[in-house]
Amino acid sequence: MWQSLPELGTGIVYAILVAAAYTFAVALAAGRGRPRLLQAARLGAYSTSALVLFAVLLLSYAFVSHDFRIRYVAHYSDRRMSTAYLLTSLWGGQDGSLLWWSLLLSGYTAACVAWLKGRYRELQPYVIATLMVTIGFFAMLMLFAANPFETSIAGARPDGEGLNPLLQNYWMIIHPPCLYMGFVGCSVPFAFCVAALVTRRLDNEWVIAVRKWMLFAFLFLSIGNILGMMWAYEELGWGGYWAWDPVENAACLPWFTAAAYVHSTMIQERRPMLRVWNVFLICLTFFLTIFGTFLTRAGIITSVHSFAQSSIGAYFVYFMGLILGTSLGLMVWRLPELKSKGQIEAAASREAMFVANNWALLGGMTFILVSTMYPKISELWGESATVGPPHFNRWMGPIGLIIFVLMGLAPLFGWRKTSGASIKKAFRAPLIALAITAVLHLAFGGYLGYPFFVPRDAFYPGVVGVLLQKVGSCLPGITIALCGFNVAVIVQEFVRGVNARRAAAGKRGEDESALVALFRLVEKNRRRYGGYIVHLGIVSMFVGFTGTAWNIDRETAMVPGQSTHIGEYDLKYEGSRRCPGNPKCSAAEQADIEKIMIFADIEVTRSGKPVGHVHPAKFIYHASPDGPTTEVAMMRSLHEDLYTVVGQIDPQSKRATFQFHVNPLVSWIWVGLLILITGTVTSLFPELSLGEVGAWSYVRSAAGIAAGTAFAIWMAMASGTNYTHERPQATAQHAAGASLRSLRQTPTAGLGMAGFVGLALGSVVSFGRRRRVEANSPRD
Amino acid sequence: MTVVRWAAPLITLFAAIIAGTLYGVQLVVLTLAAAALLLVIWLFWSSVQALAGESELTFEEAFSLGARSAEEEQKRAVLRALKDLEYERSVGKISEEDYHEYAARYRAEAKRLIQSLDENLAEGRKLVEQELSRRLSKQPTKAKHADADANTDADADADATDAEASEDSARTSDPTPSAPAGRACPACQVKNELDARFCKACGKSMAEAEESLP
Repeated sequence: MWQSLPELGTGIVYAILVAAAYTFAVALAAGRGRPRLLQAARLGAYSTSALVLFAVLLLSYAFVSHDFRIRYVAHYSDRRMSTAYLLTSLWGGQDGSLLWWSLLLSGYTAACVAWLKGRYRELQPYVIATLMVTIGFFAMLMLFAANPFETSIAGARPDGEGLNPLLQNYWMIIHPPCLYMGFVGCSVPFAFCVAALVTRRLDNEWVIAVRKWMLFAFLFLSIGNILGMMWAYEELGWGGYWAWDPVENAACLPWFTAAAYVHSTMIQERRPMLRVWNVFLICLTFFLTIFGTFLTRAGIITSVHSFAQSSIGAYFVYFMGLILGTSLGLMVWRLPELKSKGQIEAAASREAMFVANNWALLGGMTFILVSTMYPKISELWGESATVGPPHFNRWMGPIGLIIFVLMGLAPLFGWRKTSGASIKKAFRAPLIALAITAVLHLAFGGYLGYPFFVPRDAFYPGVVGVLLQKVGSCLPGITIALCGFNVAVIVQEFVRGVNARRAAAGKRGEDESALVALFRLVEKNRRRYGGYIVHLGIVSMFVGFTGTAWNIDRETAMVPGQSTHIGEYDLKYEGSRRCPGNPKCSAAEQADIEKIMIFADIEVTRSGKPVGHVHPAKFIYHASPDGPTTEVAMMRSLHEDLYTVVGQIDPQSKRATFQFHVNPLVSWIWVGLLILITGTVTSLFPELSLGEVGAWSYVRSAAGIAAGTAFAIWMAMASGTNYTHERPQATAQHAAGASLRSLRQTPTAGLGMAGFVGLALGSVVSFGRRRRVEANSPRD
Repeated sequence: MTVVRWAAPLITLFAAIIAGTLYGVQLVVLTLAAAALLLVIWLFWSSVQALAGESELTFEEAFSLGARSAEEEQKRAVLRALKDLEYERSVGKISEEDYHEYAARYRAEAKRLIQSLDENLAEGRKLVEQELSRRLSKQPTKAKHADADANTDADADADATDAEASEDSARTSDPTPSAPAGRACPACQVKNELDARFCKACGKSMAEAEESLP
């Protein structure tokens, strides 16, 4: 059985199942009255994780050594692929991505077990047991439905099929891992929740333990989703970033519930309220992650993201049934102890705002869920409905706006109840900001090209349709005004905090400057102010989303020498060229052995001034000549993006069809992600106490951050290699040149984003070191 | 053991780099896989050993077996709530009467939890002090170091000093936030509560100050 790599691999997957089962049994024994077994359970969890790592390394070895006996390797790689893509094609297909999920889950398990150390001893056994059940499930999936080590019946091929060219880019390296990190991260809070319910330790102990894990998962869900948006925007060529595709929707569902949870948990930490609700939210979040992956893989709803059809759906249904049964059963069993002892005392209170916010977020989530599943649901009564983007866009506009309003209102209220005077004082500045923004927008918006009202046509007949139409037409203006409101609220919070600190310092006889006060304020209230920074990021994203209301789209056909006009731009089609072959092609383009590239060269002039060239292209990969890919060319700025796509190019006359889009404010979405990451990392950042933590820890965390940032920069530069695959003799200079050129083409978004991912990684390294300090400090 | 923990990953890394330079990326992956396999075997063996009861009880494990984590977390939650309350009052988000009511409630709860934790540890402290005095009587020349050890041993059962300092502020029997009477710390002269045992600024013991009271 162990004589060949594929058999060894399959054997290791069996071993994973056995190890998970062993650890599960030992953990349960430790929980049921033999506490010394906990150490055995912890080591068992580590060894299961190491086994999964071993399996992944085996599969990686199979990829880099071109072991085409394995069906999965033959299907997703070939001999011409570079090492980087060989390794990333590990998660390119169904089987490997399951193994990758298991790896991330093991990573989280090992991290959680290490983080727990000697704390939460009563909860630990059940946390470990729950995580082992999940790992065991994925091991069973791999064994019985999608074995990544399965061999082809026909034996080893001379060459593989290669990875889909659409997947051979920088985004494939970074988007699935980040999104999976977010998905998988929701397992740890669920494990704690189950442990708390089983052991009856329903006070805030488990809630506090779970906080940072949920926030971390939320961070990566946000990163993963927005990276997906960036990918769709840059690569697919239809001009947008979110198509309400079922898989996209499935990825954002847990984001909504996680966002709801990080708010409602704050209520439970202060008062014994909403305990059933929080348990429900965590179980729902975990359920949605499994449901999301089920939607992606089982193929019950048609989607561009779908993996191939297989019998895997049934296993997921059973597991989801198990999750539902366990969660509901435990909740019902512990309901008497979970029930609230407190209640919301006033509508003008932060508790009430948070509850409203929860309802809004869950309402949005439910809407997306039902609409996504509607084609399947409608089959029950014989219809076969399809649900497309217009439906989502019409409804999510108002729903998103409600969430946005609540986001601004909540910080203005105090806990328990807010006095009338306090409310008046709190609302003054933000309402003024709202009014000023609205007035300015009404007055100058049309002149700048961003009118307050954007007429829309009615999507539905009847009253609902007319109502939605009217609301939709006002949405751009209202959203921008609310952005002003929200920014004012956030700034006001910072100002009030700084003033309070300076006043307190004054009473002590000290003098604290505003900047020092600001730094110390954030340092001592990381969760609160990190949260406000996240809100700022959301505001930025809403600015970006609103921009689509002012999109300008044009389709046209041109011959070389012709010009067209769109927005402020004049676009002159200079001609097309085929690379390799054309003398105008760059050295890197000439050296490409993987594909033929057909560029259309367009000169761009803006308000009369020449601003450069764009080169939209079609790539024809030798491996798949029937499916040419569209390569978008963009000119980006904070203000707007010029987005050019070429359709058909006639080889003789060079006449080409084009799609041009001017997408205002899109870059604010990516900027918003950077701000969101900053805010979440601030919230996650643990206490640093100079006295107790030695200098060596600083060195380690600095090394972690430096390594993370360097890694992130490398990933950003790797986008340069996606256009070329060098001949073996090509020098490193070409690769470097391509990388540097790509850095200019994907500036802020790519590099900055990657840099912040690096910082997030670095903070993960350093946060592990601080647990001792955290354990001893009463602060956040 | 710690040497192995640091040396093994480094050795793996070096071996992987050497293998990669000499034979290519395939051997890097293979080296890492081999190291992973060794790790699996070692961890699994340790787990089975622990299961069979052959592993020793480490100090950390003993400590955490003895500590009552639920009440620790509850105490921390209450102290955190108190801190948040102070902040909200300073920015004017909560009315004075609500503040006083909540502060009183939280302080009473914190006091109860801290007392309960202290009671739980009191027996352990007694045992530790008995053992120490027994050992001290055997080794009189090391008395000076033993004193210092006694303090750290006693503190090892309790929280770190900064947590204790904030506990002491919650330990005051006076629920009102402003305590006009107080004692000055002998070391740094900062005003502390009447019943404080350690200074909330510098952490030194207030015992000397007690002796100086009439």
